[in-house]
Amino acid sequence: MTPKSIVKTRVIVAATAAALMSSISLPALAATPKSALVMAWNIDAISTFDPAQVGEVVTNELLQNTCDSLVDFDPKDESKVVPLLAKSWDVSEDRKTITFHLNEGMKFPGGAPATAKELAWSMQRVVLLGYGNAATLTEYGFTKENVKERIVATDDNTLVLTLEAAYPTNLILQAIGANRVSALLDEKTLTEKSVNGDFGNKYLATNTACVGPYKLMQWNAGESLVLQANEDYYGNQPKLKRVLVRHVAEPGTQRLLLTQGDIDIARDLSPDDLADLDGKPGLKIERVLKPQLFFWTFNALDPIFKEEKVRLAMRYLIDYDGLGKSVMKYLGVPRASFAQIGATGALNAEEGQPFKLDLEKAKALIAEAGYPNGFEATVLFGMLPHSAPIAQSIQQNASKIGVKLNLERMANAQLFSRIRGRDFQTGMLAWQTGVPDAHGNASRLIYNPDNRPEAKLTQIPAWRSAYQNEDFNKRIQQALLEGDPEKRNQIYYQLQKDTMQQGPSAIMFQMYNILGMSDKVQNWTWNGFRVYYDLASK
Amino acid sequence: MADLTHSVPRSDAGNVARPNPVLDILSAIGKTILPVLMTLFGLAALTFFIGRMLPIDPVASILGENATQDAYEKMSAALGMDKPLWYQFGVYVKGILTLNFGDALTTGKPVIDDIARVFPATIELATLSIILGTGIGIPAGVLSAMYRNSWLDNVIRFTGLIGYSAPNFWLGLMGLVLFYATLGWIGGPGRIDFIYEFDLEPVTGFHLIDSALAGNWEIFRNVFSHIILPASILGFGALAYISRMTRSFMIEQLSQEYIVTARVKGLSWARTVWVHAFRNVAVQVLTVVALSYAFLLEGAVLTETVFAWPGFGRYLTNALLVGDMNAVVGCSLLVGVIFVTLNLICDLLYRVFDPRTR
Repeated sequence: MTPKSIVKTRVIVAATAAALMSSISLPALAATPKSALVMAWNIDAISTFDPAQVGEVVTNELLQNTCDSLVDFDPKDESKVVPLLAKSWDVSEDRKTITFHLNEGMKFPGGAPATAKELAWSMQRVVLLGYGNAATLTEYGFTKENVKERIVATDDNTLVLTLEAAYPTNLILQAIGANRVSALLDEKTLTEKSVNGDFGNKYLATNTACVGPYKLMQWNAGESLVLQANEDYYGNQPKLKRVLVRHVAEPGTQRLLLTQGDIDIARDLSPDDLADLDGKPGLKIERVLKPQLFFWTFNALDPIFKEEKVRLAMRYLIDYDGLGKSVMKYLGVPRASFAQIGATGALNAEEGQPFKLDLEKAKALIAEAGYPNGFEATVLFGMLPHSAPIAQSIQQNASKIGVKLNLERMANAQLFSRIRGRDFQTGMLAWQTGVPDAHGNASRLIYNPDNRPEAKLTQIPAWRSAYQNEDFNKRIQQALLEGDPEKRNQIYYQLQKDTMQQGPSAIMFQMYNILGMSDKVQNWTWNGFRVYYDLASK
Repeated sequence: MADLTHSVPRSDAGNVARPNPVLDILSAIGKTILPVLMTLFGLAALTFFIGRMLPIDPVASILGENATQDAYEKMSAALGMDKPLWYQFGVYVKGILTLNFGDALTTGKPVIDDIARVFPATIELATLSIILGTGIGIPAGVLSAMYRNSWLDNVIRFTGLIGYSAPNFWLGLMGLVLFYATLGWIGGPGRIDFIYEFDLEPVTGFHLIDSALAGNWEIFRNVFSHIILPASILGFGALAYISRMTRSFMIEQLSQEYIVTARVKGLSWARTVWVHAFRNVAVQVLTVVALSYAFLLEGAVLTETVFAWPGFGRYLTNALLVGDMNAVVGCSLLVGVIFVTLNLICDLLYRVFDPRTR
């Protein structure tokens, strides 16, 4: 080495060392901005902000805070509705016409007036586009042909909904009024941005254009997302001006960020992390039951599981209590009824979960069904972290009565594909309903209007399990149109009791929405259906 | 495809009439291009047919669980799934030739845009890692060979063993706990602190370069404090591999007679090793470095996940998990192109390092 090159090398080494040292001496930044809420969350699922297309929980929550719907869930009791875009509403005598009176002087971000006309367009758009969310409206008789007559703006502040049948008003308000399908979209912008008559669907893949307390400022897919308070909002201004969401997929990393104070809220902590952080100074754990059920479904086309007694026996193999206190402690509560806790018409926590681990009873039941020596069957499950421990626990119990369960784990997409195709014996998965009413799950987990394979009602879990019970179908229809709330509840109570014995699936747990949070965050408000960012403060 | 593992290409160099070196290189490139194109076509075909055989329903992936059969059939037709397979393959190949892989389900944006967004994050990380891995790994390997079976050799080999066998995500988490959570020396997960994220104007997509271009040294330091740990951990893995391979190449060389001759002639030990012996293993070491770099560019899924690094590996994995075939195809082809390109560069560099291959 020449002396010159030695000097040069030394300079490079010194510069590198200096750079290293300077980075090392950086102080740890341990405070989030006072006016912003900073969350770490796995936001991989976001693919669009179009309320007509969004079908997953992350974007739904963000949309609820950027796009107001006609009415809202009461923060304290999700089964009640309160005004939002509509300040009031009248219902006709026959319950078939609901007239909404909207707030006056609403504006889109930027200042253009937002009226009932745009709202009618936005709701018609959902049906005309025909994504999965169209079902929210078509279920109650709105079709591509009639939607323009059935959802009408009679003036700038009045929207009239005409129903084909006398559905319970509260159910319609919950299902349609408080749903993203009644978001008020900026018709003018979306028409301008429309590509091949897509009603601006492509534009909404990366933007929001609606009336709400926040607006989407920036979204870097797989990286971060920023909501900014909408200054043109008609309601109260949010206390926190910005909501910053950083995409962090790994729970352990979220935990580190939270304990370091770099974020206010960690959304995807693992049960172990939650147990560790529970009670730590400066932190709190917040939880609320969400309308999601985790269940074990049986294919009624299978010669073994078409036997009602076999299906019932399987329920006695589930250690509801033990699992609830261990694996599920921070994940959910035991629940065997199809109607989730918090819903109108749901049995209470005790009556809604009458089962306990009982090997004797299970053995007797399968013997009655014609399998005194047990049988062999397969359980499919996906990537949900609690699936495997629950399946293994059941497998162990089953082996004690001679039932050999083979567990098969697979990617979620593959699991759904198998279940939708009725290509399974038994499978474990989750189902989430959109309404805090027993009808929500009754109409999916139990009701099956057409069991033929060619009907392909793949969106209905009961069809996937090839399960059809005419009596149950009839009672669900009857409850749907029952005008007297108390009578309606009674029908559902009995239905829940019966389906727990006979139904196509063993419902196992109702899941929590749970998070870890810095105790600097105040007034975090949520229920099973909605998180209210605009009420949070610091 | 040129053979990367074939370290010293045979040649009849040393013969008389030498052609023009420029022409020579051009013809070498020409000879390489054809197999490269065939490789890529084969890869594209394989990806397509594997995609079709996977038990994942692309239509259901797009429409979600609740879609009606009517919507399902429409989307199926819109995707061309109702057409015969050969027709779909034709459309697919045409799309590839125009770099149009369609839109990714997971982001709703064109796949090519997504790749342009996530790939710089991975390149930046991989490049820094390979610089660290090579810069330390090669000298360590050479030293190890020079002082074979000494305490130094043992320390280097033991360290290498850890780098080789400890899972990256575990090292990553432990590193975060120690340097970020306990000591507070470095920035945490992510490429940059949230407060700076929207101050950085993307030019190249490489945060270090972008912040340097903008002359914003505060952001540069922040970015550096974020990248240094994941880069060190990935670099550690590369270092382990490179130092082990360098060591064994060097041991082979150091036992050759020309080394003894050089020593007898009075050359210093250092000069004998670095100038004479190392030059002879340079080609092999280059191969190892190129391979390590290619693996890093493919994206380190677990490291990217632990460090919330919005890179290529995580993008590809997510695409696979949700059955986003457009993105999977685009990414697979990119990985193919990376390997083929690095191979090509390696082949060409052999000519620089090894006169016999000219």
